[in-house]
Amino acid sequence: MKLGSLGRGLGAALLAVALGASPSMTRAADYNFDLAEIEAKPYEVSGFVEVKAEHFRLHPGASLFPLTFSSQAARETLDRGTASFELAGKFKRDVLIAYARASGSAARDAYAANSTGTLLEGGLRISPAEGLSFDLGKQVQRWGKGYAWSPVAFFERPKDANDPQTSREGFVMASADWVRSRPGPLAAVGFTPLLLPVSSDLNRDYGATGHVNAGAKLYLLYEDTDIDLLWAAKGSRPQRVGIDFSRNLGTQLEVHGEWARAIGATRRVLGSDGLPSSERANLDSWLLGARYITEGEVTWLAELYRNGAGFDAAQLQVFYRQLDRAFGPAGSAAMQAQAVSLAQSGYGRTNPGQRYAYLRLSAKDPFDWLYFNPALTAIANLDDRSWQLTPELVYTGWQNVELRTRAVLLHGAALSEFGEKAAARRLEVSLRVYF
Amino acid sequence: MFEGPTMKLLRSFVLMCALAPAAALALDGKAILEKVDRNLEPENYEMTRKLINEEPDGKRKEFILYSVKKGRDKVAALFLQPASDKGRSTLRQGDNMWLYIPNVGKPVRITSLQSVTGGVFNNADILRVDYTEEYEVTAATEQGDTYLLDLKAKTGNVAYDRLKLTVDKRTVLPTVIEAYAASGLLVKTLRFKDIKDFGGGVRRPATVETDSPLYKGYKSVMLYAAVKKREVPDEVFTLNFMSRLDELRK
Repeated sequence: MKLGSLGRGLGAALLAVALGASPSMTRAADYNFDLAEIEAKPYEVSGFVEVKAEHFRLHPGASLFPLTFSSQAARETLDRGTASFELAGKFKRDVLIAYARASGSAARDAYAANSTGTLLEGGLRISPAEGLSFDLGKQVQRWGKGYAWSPVAFFERPKDANDPQTSREGFVMASADWVRSRPGPLAAVGFTPLLLPVSSDLNRDYGATGHVNAGAKLYLLYEDTDIDLLWAAKGSRPQRVGIDFSRNLGTQLEVHGEWARAIGATRRVLGSDGLPSSERANLDSWLLGARYITEGEVTWLAELYRNGAGFDAAQLQVFYRQLDRAFGPAGSAAMQAQAVSLAQSGYGRTNPGQRYAYLRLSAKDPFDWLYFNPALTAIANLDDRSWQLTPELVYTGWQNVELRTRAVLLHGAALSEFGEKAAARRLEVSLRVYF
Repeated sequence: MFEGPTMKLLRSFVLMCALAPAAALALDGKAILEKVDRNLEPENYEMTRKLINEEPDGKRKEFILYSVKKGRDKVAALFLQPASDKGRSTLRQGDNMWLYIPNVGKPVRITSLQSVTGGVFNNADILRVDYTEEYEVTAATEQGDTYLLDLKAKTGNVAYDRLKLTVDKRTVLPTVIEAYAASGLLVKTLRFKDIKDFGGGVRRPATVETDSPLYKGYKSVMLYAAVKKREVPDEVFTLNFMSRLDELRK
């Protein structure tokens, strides 16, 4: 010990004795709580800023490489830096609340530098009572119980199974929310109707224009089980019906599930001859999942997902061969345009397959490392047996700061989903500061 | 030595007389526990608390929660600080618990053993309902100025299988609670300190310190800054209201 610090320690101890304070009293006095810190205000502003560094090990020979990086020259590696923010605001006056949330990012790598800005949600809410509210504006509806996927999320942009908790952009709609709590086995009943218009200026990416899409969710808490009955009328998309549930079984286990049917849905499928055709059918999708926490506080989250609109291994192989031809030496602009169109019609989704398994293990403060949360996530396409593994470590020990590092490792044979992605590996470090 | 019927009768009478006062004075553990519940918090309340997780080196992480409770088993809590957790809310209805993370997802079911804050406190500590709702009193004894109550969970859905309460006779408030797992393992110890008058007839410990042999050297502290009676509609304790919980704050 240095003499200076020894002297300071002795001085502090002498001062404590002189003041008649024991160490525990000093410590007890350290805890203070002033209500003025959290006084309710009519307005609120919050958000975060984030910087992220990514290193990609690219796969230039992969079928999806030209779609991901368009006409860029092939590279083996790519480094990208991204700065982003999210800003949310709320203003409340009596029963009226105005709210907005926006995000923006600027990214640079060897291929491109770009920036984006998005209004994620923004609108007005009137809450005349605790059990009733009306919303008008851009909203993010969150239907379903699934973690990685949600087949019953009829009025949302799809989740990214790689990062299901990322903020998503909403759609402009009008909605109401009514809920009633009651005694007995049916402990709560809720009803959420909504209207989502689609025109050339509004919600154009939802589906066909010229429709006002109606939908509703009926929520029941029956015998300690959450149950939702969901419906979306035919309009910009086909009519869909669905049901979901979630229930705790003891203190350590939760189970959930979803089922949805798209009635008379049309999808484009490439035949084995490479020619696209339209199929019309009822498409059933479902998800079954469970979350289990061990006594050592390791959480296992497992989900099985079947996507009725997805493509089996043979159908994906045809698409990847088509891409190879279109962007190969013998490819033409017309073939490339058709490939892009097919990708937009469903083949280009993050997870375009039919059957998936998801497993995530996360540990809370393992080995007494408080605020270190390691996790390991696996996503597997069960049809072509390709998979992705994501080890991750998050540290939240500094107030309002989250440090996250993760690697994304892909594995799959040629012409399989994860074998044909543009990047075979990715290493990512991000630092997020909340305010 | 021979004992006649009269002698037997006399002995039985003497034994009954000796035991009668003890039976009359037997402690009513359930009544004490009900009193503890009501002395700790009104049945319907709103409160604001600060949770402090302290590491062995003195480093701290703090959370501020606003909570409302109604009846014996409905409680909801909203995170006001830190900024990274602001807007998160948790809801409990009996054995059912949910967590809502704003702008990220819908309410998801959580279990009582999980912890939304990290540290020694788990969800059952943060969303505590009445002890009488979850536990039966299996033994009640006296020791000096305190009552000692042994509690056993009514169902397997309760976070701790057994509790041992040390209750101050004068205030009928707990001073120490030891929580045990079904295996008999001591999971954590809660120490109640600094009795404070919060007004409206609410007088309770303003500080609860918690440590656990599972987290050696770590400590979690709950500081109560405001506890007052308030009755809110039942609809507050539904999934639909979790994103709007801040509308209750005045």
